[in-house]
Amino acid sequence: MTTNISFLLNGDEISYDIKDHWTLLHLLREEMGLIGTKEGCGNGECGACTVIVDKLAVNSCLYLAVEADGKTIETIEGLASTEGSLHPLQQSFVDNGGIQCGFCTPGMIMSSKALLDENPGADREEIKHALAGNICRCTGYIQIFESVEAAKEPVVENRGGQNE
Amino acid sequence: MKAFKYLSPTTVEEAIAFHGRHSETAKYIGGGTDVIVKVKEGWMEPDYLISLKKIEEMSELHKNDATGELSIGAMVTHATLEKSLMIRNEYPIIYDAVSNIGSLQVRNVGTIGGNLINAVPSADGAIPLIALDGVALLHGPDGERSVEVKDLFIAPYKTVLKPREILKKITIPPQEPHTGSAYIKFGRRAAMELPLIGIGVLLTLDDDDTCAKARICLGVAAPTPMRAFDAENFLVGKKIDENILIEAGKIAADESKVRDSIRGKAWHRKEMIRVHVRRMGLKCLNMIKDNY
Amino acid sequence: MSKSNNELSSEFSVVGKRIPKLDAAQKAMGRAEYIQDIKLPGMLFGKILYSKYAHANIVKIDTSKAVAFPGVHAVLTGEDVPKKMKMGLIKDNPPIKKGKVCSFRDEVAAVAAISPEIAKKALGLIEIEYEELEGIFDPEKAMEKNSPLVHDHLKSNVLKMPWNIHYGDVEKAEKESAFVVEDRFTTTWVTHCCMGTSGAVALFDASENLTIYTNTQIPSLAHKDFLEALKAMGLENKRVRVIKPVIGGGFGSKLDTYAYEHIAILLAYKCHKPVKIVFDRVEEFKATSTRQPTVTYIKQGCDKNGKLTFRNMRMVLDNGGHTSWGATTPSVMLMPISSLYRVENVKYNAKCVYTNNTYSQAMRGYGNPQATFAIESSMDILAEKAGIDRIEFRRINKNRSGDETPQGLKITSCGLEECIDAVKEELKFDGKNEKGVGTGIASLIHVGGGARIYGSDGCGAILKMDDYGKVDIFTGGTDMGQGLDNITAQIVAEELGLLAEDINVVHSDTDICPWDVGAHASRSTFVAGNAALGAAKKVKKKIQDFASKLFDVPCEKIELKDKLVFVPEDKEKSMTIGKLLRKAHFRPGGTMLMAEHFYDPDNQNMGKELKGNMSMTYSFGAHGAKVKVDEETGKVEVLEYVAAHDVGRAINPLLLEGQVYGGVVMGLGYALTEEVTIKDGKIMNANFRDYKLFTAKDAVKIKAPVIETIDKDGPFGAKGIGEPGCVPTAPAIANAIYDAVGVRIKDLPITPEKVLAALKEKNG
Ligand SMILES: Cc1cc2nc3c(=O)[nH]c(=O)nc-3n(C[C@H](O)[C@H](O)[C@H](O)COP(=O)(O)OP(=O)(O)OC[C@H]3O[C@@H](n4cnc5c(N)ncnc54)[C@H](O)[C@@H]3O)c2cc1C
Ligand code: FES
Ligand code: FES
Repeated sequence: MTTNISFLLNGDEISYDIKDHWTLLHLLREEMGLIGTKEGCGNGECGACTVIVDKLAVNSCLYLAVEADGKTIETIEGLASTEGSLHPLQQSFVDNGGIQCGFCTPGMIMSSKALLDENPGADREEIKHALAGNICRCTGYIQIFESVEAAKEPVVENRGGQNE
Repeated sequence: MKAFKYLSPTTVEEAIAFHGRHSETAKYIGGGTDVIVKVKEGWMEPDYLISLKKIEEMSELHKNDATGELSIGAMVTHATLEKSLMIRNEYPIIYDAVSNIGSLQVRNVGTIGGNLINAVPSADGAIPLIALDGVALLHGPDGERSVEVKDLFIAPYKTVLKPREILKKITIPPQEPHTGSAYIKFGRRAAMELPLIGIGVLLTLDDDDTCAKARICLGVAAPTPMRAFDAENFLVGKKIDENILIEAGKIAADESKVRDSIRGKAWHRKEMIRVHVRRMGLKCLNMIKDNY
Repeated sequence: MSKSNNELSSEFSVVGKRIPKLDAAQKAMGRAEYIQDIKLPGMLFGKILYSKYAHANIVKIDTSKAVAFPGVHAVLTGEDVPKKMKMGLIKDNPPIKKGKVCSFRDEVAAVAAISPEIAKKALGLIEIEYEELEGIFDPEKAMEKNSPLVHDHLKSNVLKMPWNIHYGDVEKAEKESAFVVEDRFTTTWVTHCCMGTSGAVALFDASENLTIYTNTQIPSLAHKDFLEALKAMGLENKRVRVIKPVIGGGFGSKLDTYAYEHIAILLAYKCHKPVKIVFDRVEEFKATSTRQPTVTYIKQGCDKNGKLTFRNMRMVLDNGGHTSWGATTPSVMLMPISSLYRVENVKYNAKCVYTNNTYSQAMRGYGNPQATFAIESSMDILAEKAGIDRIEFRRINKNRSGDETPQGLKITSCGLEECIDAVKEELKFDGKNEKGVGTGIASLIHVGGGARIYGSDGCGAILKMDDYGKVDIFTGGTDMGQGLDNITAQIVAEELGLLAEDINVVHSDTDICPWDVGAHASRSTFVAGNAALGAAKKVKKKIQDFASKLFDVPCEKIELKDKLVFVPEDKEKSMTIGKLLRKAHFRPGGTMLMAEHFYDPDNQNMGKELKGNMSMTYSFGAHGAKVKVDEETGKVEVLEYVAAHDVGRAINPLLLEGQVYGGVVMGLGYALTEEVTIKDGKIMNANFRDYKLFTAKDAVKIKAPVIETIDKDGPFGAKGIGEPGCVPTAPAIANAIYDAVGVRIKDLPITPEKVLAALKEKNG
């Protein structure tokens, strides 16, 4: 039950022999060593494992790796530029206290990115709606909202740029 | 997670044929938000998962402007419905229900068809489709048949689908003018919440403001999503005002078969039906007024 | 963010600045390594089998099928655990039970295998025959004579650890009171829900020394526990190294060592390979500890002018099946009970009672939230009875600096009144709310300068400078996201005239870092901060001494700022600190600059009579809530929330606000939505859908005014603030609900069901 899949991962073309029952989270973390994507529940209830598949935020713990075939996948590892500078959203989470223990952070940032890519001007209510599936136990969310709001402008300017 | 083989047919016929070949050990998978959880937990142990994702026609969302009929492919995701302006404007009850299912991540992959066929009493997607007199188009080895969505459910996790049958799409008959509809999921939190109780109301008024059609549909009020027929019958033919809606709420609450569970108490669920039938009813009336 | 918080502490260049968390970029990039991410060559995976019953005798265990299963390296049962390997406060809890189980979370077997899947399968092959026993799940019933015994040899379910105090004369004071109120309050189980689940990786080297990677808030005490474990295993004179990976949330959950850590050690020893055990989410809910549920009886009174006369409280705590540090929470409850507001006559009696439920542990606030819920709810009830405005009532009884409370707490700095005023200013409390809307207030006192529970309340720090002006500081303190890394760096940078980014804070390895009692009791800023400051001062003195010779001026004239060592009145005499360090080093008889400092605060252990100044200073706060109650559904919406705290000094307002916001939201969950539902000992909601943490959509508007009282003993005047955010939240909400709709909910969480039922009762 091995299948070969090809997909675009953070801009790189990947071809991988996978088992049909692997989740995308398993493929990323356990097979490919991309530990940035976190598992907080394994059941779709916390958002720590959020990655972007064809522009949509999904829980990689419930998403089968076989279904990544032909898709464009973005994970937290792909956000910073190749020179290492942080993506505006990452920088904004750093600057605005959006990160405490950091376990929710990769998922939180990926959900935020999917939101701002689609809706660069998202307001507080839209941010809350989009992040409702990402649980954070540390921050009480306020500084996370502030982080996303503060990142709004640069992300728009950056569209089509290196980080896209 | 248990190992399985993943198949991705491109037509309904092919999917049914695959299923035929592997019968007992095969399962259909839509978005997988229910299936994967079940396989992980060991409640479902398929050797084959037959994905419906590559069957293009099943992902179509389309309104026939000539007939006014709405067709929702079973593989249409909650997010697609949520983002559709047509749905938001013309079928507010669908929007109300799907926009608060789980989280955005769940809505981005979870499908309306999976929501129906999973058949839990709390399925948010079922309520609006019942209220809108939706019809499910099923396709099996012996061809197609139609079942009203309200008749789809037998028990928790059980539908009338025969083995190998696929839910292809749901059609919604044209809406009459002067119709309003609304849904509320009552829970403790604002998101990521299975409803403690779900209440959907649809009202159609005649030109003289009497009620021509009423639908009161309840989730978690019985082992399957249910219609409160007594309350609906009570409303039809009456001039609708707040007092009438209060009365309808009481009747609906009495009709419901709510139970105590770890999520909520029966008496409170009854109360919530009572209160929200009125509130959703008033919302419908306002919608109708606004659209005059 | 409140505007005023930007203007705090402007006299310093690093302290008081909103400097982002030092490890945030690493975390933002997904590069931080948590226990989940640790992979060692040859590593095996351990899994634990838990009891099938809440209370049962183990009749027979057959592990043969599991042992024979391909890929399995070891299977352990209670028989394989050395007799002296015990955990918990009174060492009553072996990591794997034998003979008898007394809760569903009791470990009965464990497996190590080449993959987590195989380990899990092998667990399923272990056959156990149980003889079920009658369980006891209600602590008040468990106190009755004929109740089933959780531990037969103890003859009673009541722990032999009585908490009994009487300061002043409560009976007399009651007689003389003008107004007296009496009520019963209950709180239920809630749990930490760290987003990163628990886990450990254990391995032995060729000489049988242990290295254990584990999520812990108490590296030094864990080190001691594991040394004892090795001893029990017959491994005398071996070394233990505890390494903390990045921790995905603590909140008190990691203040003890647990079965999974000991089991990982046993498996690693048996297999001669590294063994990793990481909990899945269900396990995290079922096999980690909760906050203690309490039943509280409170009676308090005041004179006709509103001055509190006495407070008399009695509590029953559900201890669960085993005794962890949770059983000592009454020592902290004692603090608000004796010392929140001025009250001379105080009586407190607490009993911890064994049941067949899950056992409890420390959780943010350490008993304070439960006690404050009762006290502050009762304060409002009493104020109403006495006919005194709620705010005024609190002001009359406020703590003041210079006070010594009946328990012997010495109040040094105290900004309680300013906190109350800040809440009043934001929320008005003018009674002019629309229908169904109300406001509530509740205050708090918490240890802010350490808490002497062990023999030592100390923390060590070792500081070394390189040749270029950078610092490595090795601290005993623990960062688990709360920001101790920044606090340490900012304090050291301020003292040495550097930037926070010049300071590398190492806090993760007992081979390198000195001793610390642990990241609890909101003590790290104060104690670890003072340790770091002490070390920095010593190095500064060395720099000044050296510069004094170099510049030929007295030491006192030399300042350190902006990475320069200079004499303010003589511009010529200035040098970058890097250059100075090189001058000190690269010469015959040269030296590098380093220092160590161990800071143990001058606070007191409570003696037998439970008196003593347990902390060097106390943090104060007042919280205010504005809520809207839907009178038809019972649903409570929090419209506005104000959490004002006296923090001594805000070393970093950005992180401080983060602590407050996070604490408040955790407190709101405690007040309104969170509850581990346990039925006959069994946890019914071990998932995030049914255990209801606030989501982003539930998030509330919070203001966090900061009151600076510049504590004389705190580093730069700072006091601890890690826990207070979640201490008075529940009573603030309960009081606001009462103000809004006139019903008093005395049992947490305040669900729509409870509110609606109370409204129905009130309205007949
Ligand atoms: C975190 C989380 C939160 C959730 N919150 C909610 C919520 O708030 N409200 C709610 O109602 N649900 C909720 N769900 C449940 C679930 O997401 C929905 O029911 C979803 O719509 C299921 O769709 P799916 O495509 O993922 O179904 P799948 O998991 O793919 O399938 C579900 C079932 O339907 C069958 N099936 C699927 N499609 C077809 C078809 N076309 N024909 C025949 N059989 C089919 C499958 O064999 C399976 O038995 C939640 C789930 C998660 C994980
Ligand atoms: S790990 Fe995927 S949602 Fe929690
Ligand atoms: S920062 Fe710890 S869970 Fe969000």
